Amino acid sequence: MRKARTRWRIAILILVLALAAAACSEGESVDVGDETTAAPAETTEAPAETTEAPAETTEAPAETTEAPAAANILIAAQGSEPDQLDPHMTSAYASFQVLENVYDTLVQPAADLSMEPALAESWVISDDNLTWTFTLRDGVKFHNGRDLVADDVVYSFERIIAEGLNGWRFGSVESVTAPDDSTVVITLTRPSPNLLVSIAGFKGMAIIPKEIVDDGSIGTSPVGTGPFRFVSQSPDEGIVLEKNPDYWRASEGLPKLDGIRFVQIPDAGTKLTALRTGEVHWIDAVPPQDIESLSGEAGVTVGRVPGGDYHYFALNQNRTPFDDVRVRQAIAHAINREEITEAAQFGAATANQTAIPASNAAWYYSYAPFGSGDTATAQGLLDDAGVSGLTIDFLVTSDFPETVTQAQVIAAELAAVGVTVEITDVDFSTWLDMEANGEFDAFMLSWIGNIDPDDFYYAQHHSEGGFNFQGYSNSEVDSLLDAGRVETDQAARKALYDQAAQIIVDEASYIYLYNPDNINAWRDEVGGYMTRGDNAIRFEETFLQ
Amino acid sequence: MSGFLVRRILQMLLALLGVSIVVFALMHLVPGDPVRVALGTRFDQDLYDALRERVGLDKPLIQQYFSWLGSAITGDLGVSFRNGQPVTTLIMERLPATITLALAALFIALVVALPAGIISAVRSGTGLDYTVSAASQVGISMPDFWAGVMYILLFSLTLGWLPSSGFAPFGDGIVEWARHLILPALTIGLISGSIITRFVRSAVLEALNQDYVLTARAKGLSEWQVVRRHVLPNAWIPIVTVVGLQLGFLLGGVVVTEVIFAWPGLGRLALTAVKDRDFTVLQGAVLYIAFMFLAINLIVDIIYARLDPRVRVS
Repeated sequence: MRKARTRWRIAILILVLALAAAACSEGESVDVGDETTAAPAETTEAPAETTEAPAETTEAPAETTEAPAAANILIAAQGSEPDQLDPHMTSAYASFQVLENVYDTLVQPAADLSMEPALAESWVISDDNLTWTFTLRDGVKFHNGRDLVADDVVYSFERIIAEGLNGWRFGSVESVTAPDDSTVVITLTRPSPNLLVSIAGFKGMAIIPKEIVDDGSIGTSPVGTGPFRFVSQSPDEGIVLEKNPDYWRASEGLPKLDGIRFVQIPDAGTKLTALRTGEVHWIDAVPPQDIESLSGEAGVTVGRVPGGDYHYFALNQNRTPFDDVRVRQAIAHAINREEITEAAQFGAATANQTAIPASNAAWYYSYAPFGSGDTATAQGLLDDAGVSGLTIDFLVTSDFPETVTQAQVIAAELAAVGVTVEITDVDFSTWLDMEANGEFDAFMLSWIGNIDPDDFYYAQHHSEGGFNFQGYSNSEVDSLLDAGRVETDQAARKALYDQAAQIIVDEASYIYLYNPDNINAWRDEVGGYMTRGDNAIRFEETFLQ
Repeated sequence: MSGFLVRRILQMLLALLGVSIVVFALMHLVPGDPVRVALGTRFDQDLYDALRERVGLDKPLIQQYFSWLGSAITGDLGVSFRNGQPVTTLIMERLPATITLALAALFIALVVALPAGIISAVRSGTGLDYTVSAASQVGISMPDFWAGVMYILLFSLTLGWLPSSGFAPFGDGIVEWARHLILPALTIGLISGSIITRFVRSAVLEALNQDYVLTARAKGLSEWQVVRRHVLPNAWIPIVTVVGLQLGFLLGGVVVTEVIFAWPGLGRLALTAVKDRDFTVLQGAVLYIAFMFLAINLIVDIIYARLDPRVRVS
C-alpha cells in the first residue's frame, strides 16, 4: 500500500508542477534584454510596451467573443497573420488590411479608383508639370494627439525613399519640401501623370509621425491619422483597434464603429464556419468553391467585384526555344483561359488576354488575338519554329495554390500539341529565389493592386524593368513605356499604353490569363461596407445594426 | 541520485548544443532567403543588400552562429527578422495557449487510455478487448486535419454548442476558456489516447504473464488486487515512457490542429517562421521544442528511478 501511494503522489506532483509551470508562464513578464545581435535597431524597445498593452484592453474584446452584436465592435477574420505593422516595411496584405484603417495617405483611391483628396484637400500642378503643390487639410491630428504638419509628409516620403520597400515609386521625384506647415511641394525631374497613384495609391505610402520611428514602436504599435487607433496586438486577442474621436471626418459621424478586432484564422474552412456561426462579422476572402453555397445562405452577404489583380505566366526568353516568338505564341493559342479560370477560381474571375481589367475603365484595352485551346494554330506555329517534343519546366508555388492548379490544367492542355509540362512546386521563398536566378522555363504568379498602366507594364516588360525575369526586350515597347511615363495628356497617354500592350500581348512577353474577383463576405448585421476594386479593406463607414 | 542527475543534465545540454547546430545549418542550407521573402515580389538589389546587412545575414555563417549562440546562452534568442520583436517574447506569448492545449489533450488521453488499456489487457481475448483495440486503431488512423474539421462541422456549425476557433485566456472566465479548449483538445487528445491505450494494454499484459502474478493469484488475492498491487507497479515504466513522449510532442505545438482551430500556439508560430524564412524565430522555436522534449525525458528518467531502484544503479 505504501508504495502505491508514493507513486500516486509522484503522479500528482508532476501534474501540479506542470500546471504551475503553465500558470507561471502566463503571468511572467519577459526580460527582452538589449539586443546586440541583429536587426532593426529602432524596433528593439517596442515589444516592452506591447506585451503590457493587452492587459489593459483584454476586457472589451472578451465580451465581444460571446455576443459580437452587443458591443459596437466589428470582428474581422483574416486568413493570414500580419508580419509587422510598419506600413513602409511590410509587403503582407494581411498587414495592410489592418493599416488601411489606421493610416492615411496624401490623397487616396476612391471607390472608382480615381484619386480623391485625403490628408491633402487640394493640389495644383505647375504649367511645366514639374511642380505639384499640395495643401494639407486643417486640424488633422495623429492618434498621439499631435497635429499633422507638412514636415510629417516630407519625413514619411524621405523615409520611404531611403529605406522603405516602395522607394521606387519616387523614381521621378527630385525633392519633397515643406515651405510652411500646411503646404507640401513635390518637384519632379520629368512630368509624371501618374504621380498621385505612385505616391498615394495604397497605405504603403502612409504618412507617419517621426516619433514612432525614433522610439522604435512603429513596427508593433502604429500611430496614424486614420479612422481607428491601434490598441493592442497579441496572439490570443488578435489586433484591437478603437474609434479615433479626432478623425478628420468626425464631423460626418465617422467612424461609426467603436472599434474593430482583427482575428487570424488560417484555415479557410474554419474561417467560413466562424462567419456562419456568427463568431466573426466579416471575413477577408471566400474560397472560390464556396461562393455559390455561401451566397445562398441566410444571414450572410457575399461582396464580389472584378478585381485589379491579374494572373499570368511567362516563358524564359533567355532559353531556347522560348526565345522564338512563335513558340510563345503557340503556347498562348493552345491554352484555354476559360477552362483555367473555371478550374482555379470556379469562375469567380474574368478571362483576359491583357493585363488591365475592364473594371479599370480609364485604362482598359480590349484586345484578344489568341484562340482558346486553338491547337491547330498552335501546332502550325510549333512546326514553323521546327520545335517538337518540347518539355517545359514550369515553376509554381503551393503558397499560392491556384498556380499549382493552373499549371496542371495548362499541362493537360499543352499535351494536345505534344508539349510536356513538368511542374516544379516549391514554397514561395524558394520560388522567389529561383525566379530571380532564372531557374525556370516558365513561371506563374499574379500581380496585385495596380491602378496605373505604368504599374502594369513598365517593371515587367521594359528591357530595364526590375521584374523582367522572363528576359523580354523590344526597343519599341521600351520607348512607348518611356513616353507613357511623361505624357500628361490622358488620351495620348492611353494611346501609348494601348500600343505597348498590343505588342506585349502579341509577342507573349507575359501570357495573361485572367483578372480574379475580389471577394469578401459579412454577416447581414454589418452595414456600410463595400468590397473594393483595389481590395483595400476600409471600415470607416461600416456599422453594426 | 545527484550524480545521476548531473550526468543527465550534462547530456541534455550537449544534446541542445547539437540541436542548435543542426537547426542553424539546416536553415541556411534550404533554399529561400528571408530578406527576399520580406521584399516580396518588389525586388531591388540595393534594398536587398541593405536589409541583409541590417539583420546581420551578410556575415560569415560561423560568425552568425557564434554570435547567436553567445546571446542564446544568456536567454536572448535574438529578434525576429520580420518584425524586430524579441524571439523570447514571441515564444512566451504563445506558451499559455500551447501548454493549456497540451495538458488538456494529455488529460483526455489519460482518462481514455488508462482504463481502456488496463481493462482490455485484463479481459484480453474477449469481445471487450477487441472493441478497445478496434477503437484505438480508428483513433490512431484518424488524421487530426480530418477529425478537427468534423468536430467543427458537428459541434460548431450544426449543433452550435462550441466556438469553431480561437483561444480564450483563463482570465476571461473558465466557461469561455473551456468552450474554446474542448474541440482542439479532443482532436489531439483522442489520437494520443489511442496510442497510449495500446502501450498500456501491452505493458499490463506483459506484467500479467509474470510468475509473481501467478503467485499472487495462488495466494487468493482478488483479480483487482492482483492488478493494483502486482501488475500496475511493474507496468508503469513503459507507460510513463510513452506518456512522456506524447507530452513532449504536444508541448512542441501541434501545427495542424492549431491551424484548423486558429489556436495561437507555438506550432503556428513555427509554421509562419518557416514560410517567412524567419530564421531567428524558427531557431528559437526548435530550440524550445528540443528543450521541452529533453526536460520531459529527464523527468521521466527521474520517475523511472523512483519507480525502479535498479535504474539508479546502472
